[in-house]
Parts: sequence; C-alpha cells; structure tokens
Amino acid sequence: MTFLIAFLGSCPVTQGEIRFPPPEFESGYTFPQTTSPAPQSVLQEYIDAAVLVVGLLLASHLILKRRSRRAIFVLMIGALLYFGFVRDGCICPIGAIQNVTLTAFDRGYAIPIAAAVFFVVPLIFTLFSGRVFCGAICPLGAIQDAVLIRPVAVPGWLESGLRLFAYAYLGAAVLFAATGSAFIICRYDPFVGFFRLGGNWNVLILGASLLLIGLFVGRPYCRFLCPYGVILRHLSRLSKRRVTITPSECIRCRLCEDACPFGAIREPTGNWPEGEYRIAKRRLALFLVLLPILVAGGGWGGYALKSQLARVHPRVRTAERVYLEEVGQVQGTTNVSDAFRATGQTTEVLYADATRIRGRFALGGALLGGFIGLVAGGKLLVLSIRRRRTEYEADPAGCFACGRCYKSCPKEHERLKRIRETAAGRA
Amino acid sequence: MIQESERIQVWRRAARSTAIVGGVFTGIFVALLIANLIGSAILGPSRENKLAAMKLQVQKDPTNQTLLSEVRQLDLKIRRDRIWRLDFAHKAAHMLLASVVVLLVAGKIAYDLGKVPPRPGHATDRGEIQVKEAKRARWAVAGGLAILAAGMTLVGISGSVEFAQAEEAGPPFASMEERLMQWPRFRGPGGAGVSAYTNIPTSWNGKTGENILWKSPVPMSGRNSPVVWKDRIFLTGADPNVRQVYCYDAKSGQLLWKGDVPTVSAAAKLEIMEDTGYAACTAATDGRRIYAIFPTGDVAAFDFNGRRLWHKNLGVPDSSYGYASSLETYEKLVLVQYDQGDGTEGKSKVIALDGVTGQVAWEAKRTLPNSWATPVVVQVEGKPQLITLADPNMVAYNPATGEEIWRAECLGGDLAPSPIYAGGLVMAIQPYSQLVAVKPTGQGDVTKTHVAWKMEEGGPDICSPVSDGTYVYLLESADLLICCRVETGEKIYEQEIKGDFRASPSLVGDKLYVLDMKGMMRIFQAGLEFKELGKCELGEECFASPAFADGRIYIRGAANLYCIGQAQ
Repeated sequence: MTFLIAFLGSCPVTQGEIRFPPPEFESGYTFPQTTSPAPQSVLQEYIDAAVLVVGLLLASHLILKRRSRRAIFVLMIGALLYFGFVRDGCICPIGAIQNVTLTAFDRGYAIPIAAAVFFVVPLIFTLFSGRVFCGAICPLGAIQDAVLIRPVAVPGWLESGLRLFAYAYLGAAVLFAATGSAFIICRYDPFVGFFRLGGNWNVLILGASLLLIGLFVGRPYCRFLCPYGVILRHLSRLSKRRVTITPSECIRCRLCEDACPFGAIREPTGNWPEGEYRIAKRRLALFLVLLPILVAGGGWGGYALKSQLARVHPRVRTAERVYLEEVGQVQGTTNVSDAFRATGQTTEVLYADATRIRGRFALGGALLGGFIGLVAGGKLLVLSIRRRRTEYEADPAGCFACGRCYKSCPKEHERLKRIRETAAGRA
Repeated sequence: MIQESERIQVWRRAARSTAIVGGVFTGIFVALLIANLIGSAILGPSRENKLAAMKLQVQKDPTNQTLLSEVRQLDLKIRRDRIWRLDFAHKAAHMLLASVVVLLVAGKIAYDLGKVPPRPGHATDRGEIQVKEAKRARWAVAGGLAILAAGMTLVGISGSVEFAQAEEAGPPFASMEERLMQWPRFRGPGGAGVSAYTNIPTSWNGKTGENILWKSPVPMSGRNSPVVWKDRIFLTGADPNVRQVYCYDAKSGQLLWKGDVPTVSAAAKLEIMEDTGYAACTAATDGRRIYAIFPTGDVAAFDFNGRRLWHKNLGVPDSSYGYASSLETYEKLVLVQYDQGDGTEGKSKVIALDGVTGQVAWEAKRTLPNSWATPVVVQVEGKPQLITLADPNMVAYNPATGEEIWRAECLGGDLAPSPIYAGGLVMAIQPYSQLVAVKPTGQGDVTKTHVAWKMEEGGPDICSPVSDGTYVYLLESADLLICCRVETGEKIYEQEIKGDFRASPSLVGDKLYVLDMKGMMRIFQAGLEFKELGKCELGEECFASPAFADGRIYIRGAANLYCIGQAQ
C-alpha cells in the first residue's frame, strides 16, 4: 500500500499545478504562450485499429489453436505496452461505449473511426472466439493480470453480488453519455493515470487500490466493475468457439478445479436434496412476481433522483451554482460561475437549459433504475434455476480466455506430448 | 527426478532472494518518497505562510527594500526546494517502479516454483453445497441491490436546487418597501435625509448618559455615516495603510465583526487632506450585503456575517481633496460615481458593479471633473433614475443599464453637497452660489427646458439639502440655516444658528435635526417660521450625518458610535 501511495505522490503531473506558480513580482517576466497539442492524426487511428484487429486474430489463434498460456502472456504484455503506455490507454473499447451512445442520441456528434472500430471489433471476435480481447489485448485487464501474484479465490456467491455493480456502472455510463453530461468511464478510468504517469489524485488512489487488491484477487475491475465486460459476458455465451479446459474429453480428474484465479471454472452439478425442487418452484414463482416490482421500484427511484443525477451535467451544475449565488445561499463565486457571467448570457436561459436537461434525466433516471431492478431480478431468477453439467468447464461468460487452466489438464499434457513426438518424428 | 527437484529448489531460492532484494529496494524508495512527501508537507506550508505574512507586510510598507529583498530570497528558496523535490520524486519513482517489477516477477516465479500440485480427493456429490451456495448468491445479489439503493438514497438526501423556487425565494436584494424602513446608505433611502420614523428622541445628553442606550468605540477614524439594516449597524474606518468595515449589534452596541479591505501598491503613495480623511465615503447595503468604498479606489462586499465576498480596485482615483462620493445601490447593483481629474482625461465614469459577484455590470464614461457628491436613485413617475452631480452638469441615468436619460448644465465649482428629490424636483447646490431645481421628466439636454428655478443667494459648500416636499432647508457650514419654498425657490428665511457644520441636516416629521461639529444636536421646527425646539449635547466631535431607525438615532462621534433612544 505504502509503495503505491509513494509512487502516486511522485507522479510529476499530479503535482503539476504547484510546479510553476506565477511570478510574485513585477520582474518583467512574461508568461509563455499557451499551446494546445495537435489533434490525433487519422493515420494513427487506422494504425491503432489495425493493431487491434491483428492482435485479436493472434490472440484467437494462440488461445484456441496453440493453447499456449506463455504466448498469450507475451501478447498481453505487448498489448499493455502499446495500448497502455505508448497510446496512453486511449482509446479503448470500454470508453467507446460512450462514444457509441452519444452518437445514437446526439445527431451533432460524429464518432471517431477508431472509437467505432474499437467498440465493434472486440464484440465480433467475442462472438466467434470468446473473450479473447479481455485475455490478451485489453490494457486494463493486462495491468491487473500482471500484478496477480498470489490468487485468492473469491466465493462464487460473493461474486454474484459484486457483479451487480458492473451493470449499474454500465447503465450510468450510458445515461450520462446519452444526455451529453460526461464520459464517466474515461473520467474514472482507474489505470489511465498509471499509463500516463500522472492524473487526478482520487482516480490514482482508486487505481492503486484496485492493483493492491489485484495482487490477491484476480482482475477485480474486470470482474466487478467493467461495463464493457458486461456486454462481452453475454456475447461470449453465444460464441461459436471458446476456451475449453480439456482439448478432448473431460475425465473428471478435478486437477483443474483451482486452476482459474477468476473463479471461471464450473464444476459438474450434483443432486439436489429431497424437497428442494418444490421449494425452488415456489421461489421461482416469487421471483417472477418480484421482477416487475423491482423494475418499477428502480424506475421510480431513478426518476426521483433526476435532479441529483442531472448535476453531473456541467450546464446544470453551473446553473445551480449561479442560482445559489444569486439568491445569496452561497458566498463568493467560482471560476465556473465567473466564466458563465463573462459570456453575457442571462440566468433565465441558463435555468431553462438546466430544467430541460433535468427533464431528460427524468426519463433516463427511470430507465437506469428500471435497468438495475431488471438485472437484480434477473439474477435472482437465474440463481433459482437448476443447471445441469457433467464436466468441469470454463464458464462461457466469466472466462477471460487467459489460458491458465490448460496445463492443469492431463489431456492437454498428452496433446502436447503428441505434438512434440510428431515434431521430433518429422525432424 | 531428485536432481530435477533440487534444480527447481535452486531456482526457487534464487527467485526468492531476488524478490527479497527487490522488496528491500522497494522499501528504501518508498521510505525516501514518503520522507520527501512529509518534508514538503511540513516545510512547504510553514515557509509559504511566512512568505504570505511577509507579503502582507510589504503591502503596508512597500518601500522597505530590505523586506522586499527578504521576500525575494524566500520565494526563490521555496521554488528551488519545490523543483529539487519534484526532480527527486521523479527519479525515485522510476527506481521504485523498477524495484516493484523485480519484486513482482521474482515473487511470482518463486510462488509458481513452490506451488504444490493439486491432489484432489475422492469426488463427492456436491448438490447440497451447490444449493447452499446458490442461496448465498441470492442473498449477495439482494445485498448488492441494497447497497445500490442506499447509495441512491444518499444521493437523494443531498438535496436539489429548484429553480422554480427562484421567484419565491426572492431576488438577491431587499425590496423597495424594506429599504424605505431602513437607513441603507448615506442620508437614508434615496439620500433624502428624511426619517421614516417620527418617534425619535428629542432629548439626550452624552455626559450624563440620558437616553444614551449604548456607546461603543470605533477602532479607526472616518467621516462616514452609519448605515442601519435591522439589527446591524455598519461603519468604515481607515488610515493610510489599513481599511476596515465594522458591524455593530444594534441591541448591545457590541462590535460583531470588522473586515479588512486590501488595496494595491499604487495606493500607498496616496495623500489625502485631513478634512476628507481615508474613510469619507459612507457604505451602502442592498439588504443582503454591505458594500464599502475607500479613497484608494477599493470597493469590497461583505455578507452580514463579516465574510468578504469580493474586492475590486477601480484604480486609484485622481481627486483633488480625496475621493468622497458614497455608494448607492439599485436592486443588486452597486453604483459608484467615479469622477476624476479635470474631466479631459476620460477617467470619469459611473460604474455599476454586480453586488453578488463584483463584476462590472455597466459603465458610463463622462467628460466631467472630480466631484464629491453622492449619487441618488429616485423614482420619477414610477421609473428609476440615478442622479449625479459634477461640474457643470446634473446627469440622470437609467440605473439598470447606465443609459443617459437627461442632463442639465446648471452647476459649477467643487460639488460636495448631494442632490435630493422632493416635490417633483431634483434640487442641487452649487457651493457659495445657488440652489437649482430641475424637473426630471425630460430627455436629452434639458438645460433650457426643465430647469424650474434657481435660488441664487448663496448655498452650502459641504452639507446637502433636506426637504419635506414643501420647503427645502440648506445648512451652510458656517452657521446659516436657509429655508426656501420648493415650488418656486423663494427664500422664506435665513437664520444664523451659530456653529460649524459638516453633517447634513435631517428631517424627522416636522422637526429639523442639525448636528454641529461639537456634537450638539439642534432641533428646529420645520415650516414657515424659524423656531428652535431644543439642544442635545453629545460631548464629542461629530462630522458624520446621523442615521435614524425606529425610535433611535445613531451618531458617529470622532471616536465612538452612539445609540440614542429611550430605554424600554
């Protein structure tokens, strides 16, 4: 903990604001002219998109054909260096959710090519190869994977509860992007500060905390927070081909039982105790009734919070600040309220804008609340239905396609032995 | 097989040793970085506080070269220290990063090499366990939902701002009706010098304490008058180096707070004649905030709890006797008559500042010389006009926009008395020369069309007039009280009353209150005939005009503030 805090404290950009205080005296000093970085070239966007596609093709091959954890690890580190440290963690498919959402809701917004490609391509690959993007390409996943030293298993039941937060985060990100309020996924990207060696203190502390947890709990952000992961989970269930622990038939040796640090290996199902079926049926009926209640309750809660949620929008925040200043409920002004007054706009226009935006949040908040209620109700239903499995298998939704489980299977060792023998025979 | 195992153990030991070395280096760099952080956290603020204190001293004593040199040296030291610490942190961070990578890689290798292969026991039916796990998972989902609901509730109780209530909450200034019942500026509402209350004492004595409800010392001198808003009384005081605003409790006379007003270094060279002083301008309030201006050009706003909301320096004014125009307010605007120099340099202007923010709402430039009169906002046929005086013009503006409405070229000289509006006429004094009345209903140049009359038999040089709408009273600083008819300007009487006067006369019902410099309040019968009703001695020199409230008079003496009224 301490070394990460110390590292954070050392990030030069975090202290940038105190680095060059304005001169104290009339010394003839002239401020250098403010410059802005040049916009990113289109060519760079194409290069990024090409690297992504090639990386995903390679990852699919390494995971599904070669079944090599070592090769996947090397690819993952390469992706971490390129998409993380070289490209500063931007752009990534996780944040691209917001670009896509804003495109759908704002006709005046043109989505960058890279954002569109980064959003769509990993989804396509997931449909065909499982979550190869998570396992080998995503820099956010890679940095967590790299620090995982001593994995501790998170109980499956706890994971079910924690995963709910990722859905809420996805819903909130879509709402705020759709209303043009903020790109919260980017704003609170916990690792981008590490890639850029500096950033907002709070976010750096969040990232450091996640990495510390990640020393023992595999990929906590991916499992419990990542909004893109929520989409990939569901697409991965539909994928044509995906990771299988054994290359042939499962012999139920149970050697792979603890091989996955992400809790994504499912054991065969046992027999339910006597009388459990009857209870399960009643429970299922109860949850079916509860589902619309949760959706309606969540919707009402989200609607009731429209004013508070709308505060994320800068125009609403400005309006509230200016209003409080105008009626004397707060003292002094802020840079934002000063900037507003410098525009010469009237407060009436500002308040009208804020009221209109709040109106959007009335519907959006209700949808967000309803969505969270639907997810929770759906999870309760899913957890009440009996599944049948006869083999140990990788969870199609939760498997990050990292390839850690391959070597735990004796059948895999047989396969590798055959390959070596074939190669030796050829030689 | 044994050899293979030993080989693994050798690698494992090597990896573990490397991890330990990485860990030690990590610890060292962490310690160094923490020490660096603590060092800057402890040393930084103390040095910066010292620097800030020294800068304040520089403001008071800007010509002290030794002090300036010390400030520069300390500033340089702080900057060097910051840069050194940043450089150190940068290098140590890279070393830390390298150590962490070594620790992670070696630790991972050591862990993997020491991992015991799984030895699963006999398979058992886990159906019951799976049912229990599913139950726990459902509770976990319910728990997650409860946490989200709690979070939403917390967000909800943070409250919301309803713009729809903006009108109900009222504007950021007191209403006209409220203002009329207070004493919000120099000479009360509209600068008329007329009390809204008639239950004002007619007898008191500062020496015996008769009807003196309380008496409180004023920290710094000033010739400005008290401003009263409900249970608060405001004054200002200043010397060449310090400017302050004071707030007193009307019930007890306790000094509730005093607020400092900063200035710019250019004001340090300002020299003002003693008769004007460094706090001649009376403050003004809009019922929400108190505003003060000083001859250094510094305007500041405070809330009623003494928190300075904003401060603005309008530029050190070029005023031959020292700047002395008091402030006026209109709605949430603070109106400043800022006439300077001889009028040819383009420095004169009337400025409206937003009372909430201090930003300039409008400016009206004018080619008029320095003036000492205070502007007044009056209601003419239901519309507001801001009346200003500066040689040779009387100019009216729309106080909301700064647009000029009319002007009359009818005055001259060094204009110190402020205008009043009574009986449908704006009346202003040209010192030692005349009293002029203008009908404020015109547009543009009304010199030839709207000057109602001129009483050309002299006029006060300092004191402003007062009128009940029928008669207007003039008080010359050297013992002459003049009464004229408002309708025609005809002089009714001129009476020698002995005394020196700086405070302007006030009207309470049918009584005229006139305060001389020795602190003697002279009370006369208002009307056609001169008649003295009484004298009340305060026992302290007085220069400022009194303020009137319900059953009370507030008088600022040279050193004390007095509250006069009958004890309950």
